[in-house]
Amino acid sequence: MAISNKIVRRLAIVLRVALGVVFAYAAYVKLFQFTDGRLHLLPWQLFAMAIDSYQLLPQTAVEILARTLPWFELALGILLIAGRWLRFASAATSLLLAVFLSLMVRAYIKGQEISCGCFGPGEIISWKTLLRDGSLLAASLLVTAGAFWRGRVRRESMDRDTLPTTP
Amino acid sequence: MKAMLFVACLAAVCLAAPPDADKGKILGTPSAPIRLDVYSDFECPACKNFHEQMLPLIVRDYVMPGKVAVVNHEFPLNIPEHKYSREAAAYATAAARLDIYQPVADVLFRQQSTWMFTGRVWETVATVLTPEQQKHVQALVKDPSVLAEVSRDVDAGNREPVRATPTIILSYGSQHFPIPWPVNYNFLRSLLNGYLK
Repeated sequence: MAISNKIVRRLAIVLRVALGVVFAYAAYVKLFQFTDGRLHLLPWQLFAMAIDSYQLLPQTAVEILARTLPWFELALGILLIAGRWLRFASAATSLLLAVFLSLMVRAYIKGQEISCGCFGPGEIISWKTLLRDGSLLAASLLVTAGAFWRGRVRRESMDRDTLPTTP
Repeated sequence: MKAMLFVACLAAVCLAAPPDADKGKILGTPSAPIRLDVYSDFECPACKNFHEQMLPLIVRDYVMPGKVAVVNHEFPLNIPEHKYSREAAAYATAAARLDIYQPVADVLFRQQSTWMFTGRVWETVATVLTPEQQKHVQALVKDPSVLAEVSRDVDAGNREPVRATPTIILSYGSQHFPIPWPVNYNFLRSLLNGYLK
């Protein structure tokens, strides 16, 4: 039992770090391009066009999202890798992935041949991108469940330790 | 040794330079600060949309003032529905050698819904050519170098990589990236203005 617990815990760490790396990478390709031996900041308009292709939001909202979302993804990626604020980071990641996936499914069903916007420009929505994002969401939900379960266990053990003893 | 070095340098310069025929497919000044490489297929409806709706705006706002150069590339998709794409690309490439790429591209896109079903590509192209030009284009389209040029465009697209048509690649200095499709002109304008400021 102790061995299987250990394995589950290690698997959870691997899953969390992998998810963090994927998020950090997704943010990196939206924000930067490495050419001529240095890092260039990519224009936000590229990601704005990818968001706009879903035809859901007004232009102002698209602009705000395009300017902020990649940095938020980067922060989530770093938090997941570092294992900090885990309940917040994993829940936010799951929520984001659920939104992304539902929008992609909607576009796919509507037959829109648009850029997915997941890992930079040039990737058209297909069953492969849906499968990939679906797997990421499943992994993220597991990490989230693990983070909340661990939090509960820790709280319960703290409650036991501080329980007032009757004289 | 020096002669060999000179030949090697010359070969490198020649290989790096765009092929001569490509000059006919460039809109605007080749030395413009921003370059947009457009990979399209004459049978693709989205390419028609780009050519007829967006390209005229880019030409008016950026190509004419010398700020952007648009370089057209053939990327005939290898799918059963696009039976005449390569033939259309060959005619357009042949026309580019006579500096009449634009009128040929215009008519191919304008009449897309007709020739893509009838297969009457030449009849469509011929409507915008003089009898003299028709003779030249018909001779050029049989030239293996024209077909090789279409294949070179496809190879260049595959190297980018082009995953769908149209694909627009923006180059500014050392930066080089695809623009997500469909292109929102307001965002594209903001992007180009940001570089040109």
